[in-house]
Amino acid sequence: MNRKIVNIIICETSHIIFEGLTRILNNSINTCAIHFANNMNEMQQLNLRYNADIVILNPVLIQNITKDFLSIQKEFTTTHWLGIVYNHIDQPLLSLFEGIIYINESPGEINALIKKMLTIENPLHNQIPQNETLSEREIEVLKLLVNGNANKEIADKLNISINTVITHRKNISQKTGIKSVSGLTIYAVVNNYISVDTM
Amino acid sequence: MHLLNKMFVLPEMKTSEIIINNPYLMLMFEHFEIKLEVHEKTIDQICNENNISNNLFLCIANLFNGYKPDKITEYVSKDIQSIIKYLGNSHKYYVKEIYPRIQKYIKEIYKINTHTEILMLEKFFTNYFEEVTEHLEYENNVVFPYVLNLDAQLTHKNSNYTLNSYSVIEYREHHNDIEEKLTDLKNLLIKYLPVENDQQLRRKLLFCLFELEYDLNIHSQIEDTILIPLVEKMEKLGA
Repeated sequence: MNRKIVNIIICETSHIIFEGLTRILNNSINTCAIHFANNMNEMQQLNLRYNADIVILNPVLIQNITKDFLSIQKEFTTTHWLGIVYNHIDQPLLSLFEGIIYINESPGEINALIKKMLTIENPLHNQIPQNETLSEREIEVLKLLVNGNANKEIADKLNISINTVITHRKNISQKTGIKSVSGLTIYAVVNNYISVDTM
Repeated sequence: MHLLNKMFVLPEMKTSEIIINNPYLMLMFEHFEIKLEVHEKTIDQICNENNISNNLFLCIANLFNGYKPDKITEYVSKDIQSIIKYLGNSHKYYVKEIYPRIQKYIKEIYKINTHTEILMLEKFFTNYFEEVTEHLEYENNVVFPYVLNLDAQLTHKNSNYTLNSYSVIEYREHHNDIEEKLTDLKNLLIKYLPVENDQQLRRKLLFCLFELEYDLNIHSQIEDTILIPLVEKMEKLGA
């Protein structure tokens, strides 16, 4: 492995599972930093900061938000997503992950899976949707942005974190090729997201 | 960079050949105040005639051709004078020639394409142009005199100059990204703004934007990879 530090986020509500996994991972990967997230929000914030190589996630946490999970996956294109499973999870949910760690697996099997993940490139990587149109959420952020709202205000109004606002803005600029707010204002008018009279 | 054949420029090459290989180099010749009409002269000869060091000429010509300088050049007073002349002339090219030409095209487009968005584009550009002018004036009035003073002090031509507490570090911070809004403009014109009989004008406008972008890109690379490291060396020498 030619990378310096492998960043892994474990997103899990049980400390027992977290500690156990951490110990197994530390024993086999020399230079890895393991971070603990209690919920999806914390996971996203940590991932923005560390740009994780792998997120190990309890599928229970995404049971009712599978659509959000898919868009989160698209946001972090260099991250591999593994599930940690210790109770019954439906197959469709499991299929959203690149690999599954089952509770009764041996440390050897777990490490083999981790190492395999680190050697392959995430299929979503470099597939940044250059031609895709903006998502509904991105349009909401865009509208608030060009109407003069700061990141903090947008976060409050949409009830999301500032980090999420920043990620949305990054994606908007990536898709449109336009970075400045004044440029995006013109873009928003062209696409009828706002009308000139309301400005 | 839109070069098909990247050519690494060497002193013994014919001057005309490097221009034919990369016509954008004509901008460099203008900024250095080197006349075309180069006959069969080599780069070495042209440099001698124009009192520009080979080293600096090759460094910048190769920047134009997509090669970054691999080492920081030594402090030579003559080079500092040439670099400041080059940068000052490129400012004139921006303010007096290319930006006004872009503005003219946008105005012409609005005459035949009266969509609100085009009017907004004109306003966008006017504001942008003001920002650029402000930045260039800062360089003209603060950065360049500072560098020239520093050079004068080091060569003892005029030891009356006193250096203020200004340092090139501040310059680096102030050195904001003019290229970003240029990219916005290009994308708006290519991807989003409604066309209404203005495609030929738009093409002319876009070619201006590409020319400007090319020159600005080299301009900031000269500042970042040649001028700033040199001035840092000078500051140490003068300290």
